[in-house]
Amino acid sequence: MAHLLKMKIMLRKIITISLLAGVMASCTKNFQTLNVNPTAPATVPLDYLFAQSQLLYAGSAGDPGYFEWRANLYYSMPIVQQMASLGTTYNGDKYVWSNEASGAYFGTSNGEGNYPNSVKNLVNLIYQARLDSVKNVNILSMARITKVMLMSIMTDLYGDIPYFQAGLGYIGGNLTPVYDPQKAIYPDLLNELSQAGAALTTSAYIPATSDFAFSGNITSWKHFANSLMLRLAMRLQKVDPTSAATWAAKAIAGGVMTSNKETYLLNYPGGGTASINPHSYNLGPSDNVARNVVAGAVLQWSNTFINAMKARQDPRIGQVSNVGVTQVGVQVNMGDTIGSHQLGLPNGLDNAPGGTNISQYSVMNPLIFKSTAPDIILTYAEVEFLKAEAEARGYIPGTPAAEYALGQEAALQQMSSFNAAFAFTPAQVTAYQTANPYPTTGLEDGVKAIQTELWLLWADTFNGYEAWASYRRTGYPVLTPVNYPGNATNGTIPRRLQYPSEQKTLDAAGYQAAIGRMGGDLLTTKVWWDGGTN
Amino acid sequence: LDGIPLNNDNINNQIAGNTAGTSSVGMWGGTDQGDGISSLNPDEIESITVLKGGTAAALYGSRASNGAIIVTTKSGSKNLNNAVGIEVNSNVVAEGLLYSHFKDYQYQYGIGDIDATSANPLIGLKPTDQDGTPNFQTNSYGAPLDGSQVIQYDGVKRPYIAQKNNLKDFYKTGSMITNSVAFSGASDKLAYRLSLSDMYNKGVIPNNNLRRDNVSLNLNGNMAKWFSFVANIKYIAEKGHNRPGVSDSPGNADYSILTLPTSLNVKDLLPAADSNGNERIYSNNIYVDNPYFVTQKNIQYDTKGRIVTSFEPRFNITDWLYAKGTLGFDQYNFRYTKIFPTGTAYPANPQYTRNSARFNESNLGWLVGVNKNFNDFGLNAFVGGNAMSQSTLVDNTTTSANSFNIPFFYDISNVSPAFITRTDGDFEKKINSLFGSADLSYKNYLFLTLTGRNDWFSALTPPVGTKSKVQNHIFYPSFGLSVILSDALRLPAFVNYLKARVSWAKVGGDTGPYQLSNYYSLSGANNGAPLAQIGPSQVPNLGLQPYSSLSDEVGLEGRFLNNRLGLDVAVYNHNTSKDVVSATVTPASGYQSAVFNVGKITNKGVELLVSYKVGNNFTWTPSLNLAYNKSRVVALYGDLTQLIVDNARTQTVQIAQEIGKPYDEVQVQAFQRNGTGEIVNGSTGLPNTAITYKDMGTGVAPWTTGIGNSFHYKRWNLNVLVDGKFGGVIFDGTEALAYRYGLSKNTLPGRLTGLIAPGVGPDGKTPNNVRIAAETYYQNLYNFGETFVHSASFIKLRSLSLDYAFPMKSLSNTPIKGLSLSLVGRNLWTIMKHTPIIDPESTYNNGNAQGLEFASAPATRTIGLNLNVKF
Repeated sequence: MAHLLKMKIMLRKIITISLLAGVMASCTKNFQTLNVNPTAPATVPLDYLFAQSQLLYAGSAGDPGYFEWRANLYYSMPIVQQMASLGTTYNGDKYVWSNEASGAYFGTSNGEGNYPNSVKNLVNLIYQARLDSVKNVNILSMARITKVMLMSIMTDLYGDIPYFQAGLGYIGGNLTPVYDPQKAIYPDLLNELSQAGAALTTSAYIPATSDFAFSGNITSWKHFANSLMLRLAMRLQKVDPTSAATWAAKAIAGGVMTSNKETYLLNYPGGGTASINPHSYNLGPSDNVARNVVAGAVLQWSNTFINAMKARQDPRIGQVSNVGVTQVGVQVNMGDTIGSHQLGLPNGLDNAPGGTNISQYSVMNPLIFKSTAPDIILTYAEVEFLKAEAEARGYIPGTPAAEYALGQEAALQQMSSFNAAFAFTPAQVTAYQTANPYPTTGLEDGVKAIQTELWLLWADTFNGYEAWASYRRTGYPVLTPVNYPGNATNGTIPRRLQYPSEQKTLDAAGYQAAIGRMGGDLLTTKVWWDGGTN
Repeated sequence: LDGIPLNNDNINNQIAGNTAGTSSVGMWGGTDQGDGISSLNPDEIESITVLKGGTAAALYGSRASNGAIIVTTKSGSKNLNNAVGIEVNSNVVAEGLLYSHFKDYQYQYGIGDIDATSANPLIGLKPTDQDGTPNFQTNSYGAPLDGSQVIQYDGVKRPYIAQKNNLKDFYKTGSMITNSVAFSGASDKLAYRLSLSDMYNKGVIPNNNLRRDNVSLNLNGNMAKWFSFVANIKYIAEKGHNRPGVSDSPGNADYSILTLPTSLNVKDLLPAADSNGNERIYSNNIYVDNPYFVTQKNIQYDTKGRIVTSFEPRFNITDWLYAKGTLGFDQYNFRYTKIFPTGTAYPANPQYTRNSARFNESNLGWLVGVNKNFNDFGLNAFVGGNAMSQSTLVDNTTTSANSFNIPFFYDISNVSPAFITRTDGDFEKKINSLFGSADLSYKNYLFLTLTGRNDWFSALTPPVGTKSKVQNHIFYPSFGLSVILSDALRLPAFVNYLKARVSWAKVGGDTGPYQLSNYYSLSGANNGAPLAQIGPSQVPNLGLQPYSSLSDEVGLEGRFLNNRLGLDVAVYNHNTSKDVVSATVTPASGYQSAVFNVGKITNKGVELLVSYKVGNNFTWTPSLNLAYNKSRVVALYGDLTQLIVDNARTQTVQIAQEIGKPYDEVQVQAFQRNGTGEIVNGSTGLPNTAITYKDMGTGVAPWTTGIGNSFHYKRWNLNVLVDGKFGGVIFDGTEALAYRYGLSKNTLPGRLTGLIAPGVGPDGKTPNNVRIAAETYYQNLYNFGETFVHSASFIKLRSLSLDYAFPMKSLSNTPIKGLSLSLVGRNLWTIMKHTPIIDPESTYNNGNAQGLEFASAPATRTIGLNLNVKF
């Protein structure tokens, strides 16, 4: 009997436990809090987002030089013969197509590229900032201006691109953003600059530490917005001179950069991946994880570039170029910087010309790609040269020769951003200006002189994007194309990059519509402002 | 595993916090760290039962929605005279390459390239200096191998001859030695089994090894009439060293061996580093490693300790009513360290990576059951509940930049803090369940099973408001009916046993946590300003719901003619709807992928197993196993017509789920063709690319078959298994590399003359007439996935084993109670395949996307000897 009693008590216990367990099992109250990632915040200060967005100019947070390496160093700079390379890896040297390199700026499903990094984060930042657009007006405007800069480079590289609906995968639930015609993108880029520039104000919160370009200087930001507007206005010169004139005049009237102090450049203290200059990441090692392009002798200055500098007695030659760098551990040591010793590599070759060795050719001076070097993106010098062109074309009143001389001086002195010792004496500046004066032989020669100066400046600051776009618009400097066997352009200078092949399946309809408008997806297809069929 | 769910995810996924369940060993390579089931001691396993379809789900829950593998480990049993039983097992296996050299490589031309500026830009030249001029890539597009002295990468002149032994010279014979011992016994109240085992595996890649030690204790208690229990404790310690890299170089020695120039002897790459410790790479391509540097200097090791415990008390309340509890804990600690050492060519600076993970899963459950017979009827039913809780804590450290202050010394303390990046992960989810099951039987020949289960998932969107259609829970029932016809009816005498069954089941399931909303990742600081960016690369989905799969199956199982003929046939449907799938989206959306409850995928199939036994003393039992599965993507999310689920490293091939097509369609970058199907070439003489991708077939073979033959004579057993898969395709990424590097035999035509690509010119009509160099043409083909997709069908001699059990008579004077010896060979011969270079079963991905290969390890065969002694 005692045994039976024990069992009854046991039974009661078991039933109670079972019921409790049943109640437990159906309880889902803590599920919502459990499903929140405890290691990543759901909201962060907008300053943090702005700071990161500004740094995504050349790559991703994990690989800060990813698309800069491919779109700028593989393609743009060798295409305009600022750089040269043996072999076919640096595709722009020989006008060959590589899907990975050509599609890199756009972005592919490996998560690298402009859309999945800068555009995604800027679109989100703009959305978040707009939730209180009075308080956040400055971050909002700076983000809009930054987005214009990146989108303009992208449409210049590819032509039609997803623009209005881009980056809205989460916020807008749009997984297949429409490809917009470049013709429709440009007016919006200019409008954005106009509105965002005007909205900047000293009477609202100003991000300072998180602004690596101007530390929150509102005037500089306004000048930057207008300077970028001038750059984009001039882009329209070939296809729509009326709009070009209107927007150029508007930019100048709004106030553009006035000195090298207002140059848009990003400062890096060096150190971890987030804090190093992306050119350093690609061209180094200096003191960071890097692709070792320079010491690995896979990319040289083009002889077109070196010869031009020599012919113009350009004093910057030894600052940007040197021969015979040595790598000691993770340090690249400077070689011979004497101007007359510099030797550019001809484009379109598989091996060094007869009797020479690749190590005899000039490469980038380690001082301009050290990890603490700034990334120079839009210079005051460029603004002066573009003003000169606008004046020469009669878009705005003024004397082109004066702006041209100011541009030359600013371009030379801009080098001191890389290294204080690179500053030039007034006498050196004058000597360069005297050797390379603004021509008096008419508009065409004027444009040629201006574009040649810009081409040199953009080479010195690793800006192949601008050099290539300006070449396509003006045809200057005059380049002799190479005709490498198996090239994709029939021996002509490429006019754009091809979309990543993935687009054929990831957004078949958008891709087909875009190439239908543009007349193809080739390196030779012209974009709208280049006289394309759009 | 013994009634407790064992997490069998690949550890790589756990570390990456990979929430979508896809493999993180992707196109950029990585290393495979193994999964749960591969860690078990094979000698400990009593039985493995594969439960197909959803019928297992009521008891095992959502993770059994695609079926379950029920592993039962051995337990103690009562011996004669209550003695302690001892069983010793020793196993020695040798592993070697299936092929000693590359049958599909050319050995007529050596390292070198064409030179556009030379007198004849159409023909390949030998290198003329140490830097490999005319080009210093790794190509074998040079001159005919003529035995002349040619300068190599290290400045040494060596004969320009074919090096056919690189495979043989680089790879070693691998081995696996397993020893285990088990003690078992029982008293009236307690049966126990303790087993210990040690496994040591040396891979075919030099310097790669793996050690695993298992300890396992199983207790079966029958303490009183009303109380019994089963308890299990398993401890698994695993130590891996230099697990081989997969897919993309760098860090994959196989990649280097597969792409080594024809005239370069792998042994001439020794030593792997120069006197300063710098890697000696043999080309200007820093991403292609010296294979010896990978195996000798790269440092990789991992340790794992796993404890799986379970305790299941059972209370017999009456002789027909019982209650049972289930307590299961599965915990492992994992640590992986990888060091790119000082001197490595890529990355340009040494790098340190450490991944630590602690995984924890607990299952707390109960059930109350009834087991009673009423005359001819039997009832076996229970209701129960389970609370599953899973967490993975991840702690990852990586370094960037000029990592090690003192070169060649690899510890995190030797790295400046600015170069250290730490990331933590904390992934938690829960599933709560209530379930019930009833088995009704009539006269032991008619069986009816009804089950139901409701799961609540923490990882899915909870309903908002009472009328919300979005639910984070799902109810799924199942039903099964079987009849033993041979008992129920009077059947002809030749029928010994015949059973028919029909079943229908629904199962629901969830996905990984934190996929519902956005979060930010904090990424350090620059110039004192903190940085943050959007965390997910997958578009969060606020409406994720449970997926469900429906399966129905009809089957017939029988034995005939004195049990000589065996037959098992099944026809099934398996439909998954609202599956949680992560699909690639255009980067223009800002994201890499989006997660959806995808429409519907159907699978229909037939499975057949026939065997027949011939002879009496000497028996021969041939058997045929044939299965056919037809999958079809019926509907997708919204108006999508296809989802891209993976992309090859070459970025020319994709795996897609496409409406109206089978699962895992392989799509390729194709040639542009004119109306009559001819390839259209551009003005440069190279093929144009088509503007749409082309479907090539499915990456999952629909047909699988196995033909077994087992022979038995007295104490001898011989088993021979031939198997095959048919109807699938695979992208042979290694062949694409062999074209790029001029290694494939197919790149021979036109080496001395140049060639005119087949097809027409840019006008689409007149034949192409542009002569180009062979190197230019074949390297360009790398950009077309179309060239390299082949049938993945194969027939293999999978295994051959010979067993001998020593007669008890000869052992009668020894303490030995049983002794058997077996010889086992696996993967002995590929009888048929269509894929050049690679094994058609190669893959670097164990996830949903099948059909891609890239630089995989060479196929191997194993031969082993097993000795089993019982005391």
